[in-house]
Amino acid sequence: MNTMLTVKSLGKSFKGKQIISNISFEVKQGEIMAILGPNGAGKSTTIRNIMGIMYPDEGSITFHHSKGATIPRHKIGYLPEERGLYKNVKVMDILLYLAELKDYPLDKAKQRALDYLKKFDLEGKEKVNVEELSKGMGQKVQFIASIIHEPELLILDEPFSGLDPVSQELFKQEIRNLAQNGTAILLSSHQMNLVEEMADRLFMIHRGQKVIYGEMTDVKMEYANFKCTIHGKNNKQDLAQLPNVQRVEQEDDRSIIYLSKDVQPTTWLRQLPNHINIQELTLNRISLHEIFIDIATDKNLLHEEGVEHA
Amino acid sequence: MRNTMKVAKWEIKRNLKNKTFIIGMFLTPVLIIGFMLLGNTFGGSDTEETQELTTVFINDQLQLFSAIEDTVKTNDLPWELKQSDLSEEEVNKELEDTDDTAYLFIDQRSLEEGVIRAYTSEEIPPYFINQAQIVAGPLQTMQMKQLGLTEEELATLSRGVSVEAIASKEAQETVNEEEAGADPLKRIVPGAFAGFIMLSIVFTGMAIFQSASQEKKDKIAEIILSSLTPADLMQGKIIGYFVLGLIQAVVSITLVLPIIAWRVDISILQYLLVPELAFYIAIAILGYLLFASIFVGVGATMADVSTAGNFQGMVMMLPFLPFIFIGPVLSDPNGFMAQIGSYIPFTSPGVLLLRLTSLEEWPWMEIAISLTILIISVWFFMKLAGKIFKVGILMYGKNATPAEIWKWIRA
Repeated sequence: MNTMLTVKSLGKSFKGKQIISNISFEVKQGEIMAILGPNGAGKSTTIRNIMGIMYPDEGSITFHHSKGATIPRHKIGYLPEERGLYKNVKVMDILLYLAELKDYPLDKAKQRALDYLKKFDLEGKEKVNVEELSKGMGQKVQFIASIIHEPELLILDEPFSGLDPVSQELFKQEIRNLAQNGTAILLSSHQMNLVEEMADRLFMIHRGQKVIYGEMTDVKMEYANFKCTIHGKNNKQDLAQLPNVQRVEQEDDRSIIYLSKDVQPTTWLRQLPNHINIQELTLNRISLHEIFIDIATDKNLLHEEGVEHA
Repeated sequence: MRNTMKVAKWEIKRNLKNKTFIIGMFLTPVLIIGFMLLGNTFGGSDTEETQELTTVFINDQLQLFSAIEDTVKTNDLPWELKQSDLSEEEVNKELEDTDDTAYLFIDQRSLEEGVIRAYTSEEIPPYFINQAQIVAGPLQTMQMKQLGLTEEELATLSRGVSVEAIASKEAQETVNEEEAGADPLKRIVPGAFAGFIMLSIVFTGMAIFQSASQEKKDKIAEIILSSLTPADLMQGKIIGYFVLGLIQAVVSITLVLPIIAWRVDISILQYLLVPELAFYIAIAILGYLLFASIFVGVGATMADVSTAGNFQGMVMMLPFLPFIFIGPVLSDPNGFMAQIGSYIPFTSPGVLLLRLTSLEEWPWMEIAISLTILIISVWFFMKLAGKIFKVGILMYGKNATPAEIWKWIRA
């Protein structure tokens, strides 16, 4: 896979406050690369620096397959986080205008626009004024606008925010399609479940700094250990003394036991002592979602893990 | 530059498809015409009032009626002439119930004594008796004929004596100047034309203001800026609204000019198509560029037109600044105020147009200085607006304070 975009030790500060620092990653052709992080982590700032809407204080951004130092705007599709459309114009007019700005042939753009409108259940809406669209419809039109010119690199900043589950599914499918057809996709989101399903690689950012960067499967292998949730009245000490336990969290009658990486689920279950009160027991892996919450709330789970695996 | 033209094209197309803009575009000239015609109707009814007819009955015993009719016609008196046989006693009764009526008695006695007895109703136009003096003409002619004068003597007498003024040298000069009075018109017509174009593009240009802040309100700025640079977007808007302003001006002029030409007896086109016009229009365009760059920059600092702060509101008033100078400049086109006005970039386009149209001799030095200041200011404000626009257009949800704007400019 060809690398489309390389970001190297990017740094940016506002009013003397460092917003992001030392951010480095790559986006390759045909992959979905996710930037994850809580609100205010610096995702949008990173993306805006890539798009040339802001200028980085330090570091470099390289677009491969393009000559010269300027951003190859015509090859990039961009769906910003703060997005909207001109209000008093027709859907087709604005799609064609945005395609024209990208130097995409207009007849082709028109056909693509009609195809995509049909795909997104907006058939026959091309002559409707933008202000008459619902929010969800508007989001779909914005999405179409970002891909109408067949970009080689597609940057989506929180594409799923404000979408209902049906539309989310539509977007997910289309993004996957695009990746399969060779588009390099950089996607930022704080909706972990969606990202977990879609992304090939991820870059997790917190307070403007890298926390995790790697293949989704590797990250899961490395960080997503087993955890055992038990409903029932139990003593925290008792549970902590079990083998392979990293830590125990207790809330009312529910205890979550975080297990270490090398635990064997079956053997571990077999050696549970009899006096433990079990109303309900689940054993599953820590989800990306929990890793994310841990980071965002500074519980330092990852930090412990990080030390152990360093 | 190609991107700039795309944006310009888009802005033009978008506005021309917008009903509000179209209505506004045609409403302006229609209002101008409306006020013009309205003024005329009021004026028209005024003259009609004085044109009310007076009915004049003539008891004619000397067969002078047709001669009087001719005199009245040639003098264009508002009289309706009728013959009457009523005696003087009956007339008094008749007049009691009528308005605007008069009875003239022309008989042997009038011929001998030289008096025409006139009986009038209570309501009678104030100048009636003066007008009636004209009737004396045919009577006098008759008197003279009775005296047995020859045609030649008659002609000499009836020519009368009049005082004729022989113009002195000085007076002749003023006459010449009056002939040159066509000259101011020669300058005023193209000047007024350029002034109209300037006003019309500057006012349309004020829409840039809204357009720039709308870009933020609609949150589309970032999408657009992923395809082009802020400078492209800004220049595109300035050019786009310039063309829109020209369209507005052309529409207004094509609608208003024929009406003016019809109402006013001046061959406007002849005065309009002079070389000065190009110069005036150049000044008007410079004025537009100056205000457009200011508007687009300030527009980008605002989240919403309705939340414009004091600072932004004051900037909006800048195009009206030249109005302060209209009085002083007209009373003394070379005076102190006029000179100051031409050196302040915000007022110089307006003041220059005003001065050039009212001055016989153009102060070339001042014009040159003024234009230099204007051109430098245009360049400077374009740069400034570019800097403000670049940051401002991406600042969502709040107005920028002057302090913030100052920081962007220094950045």
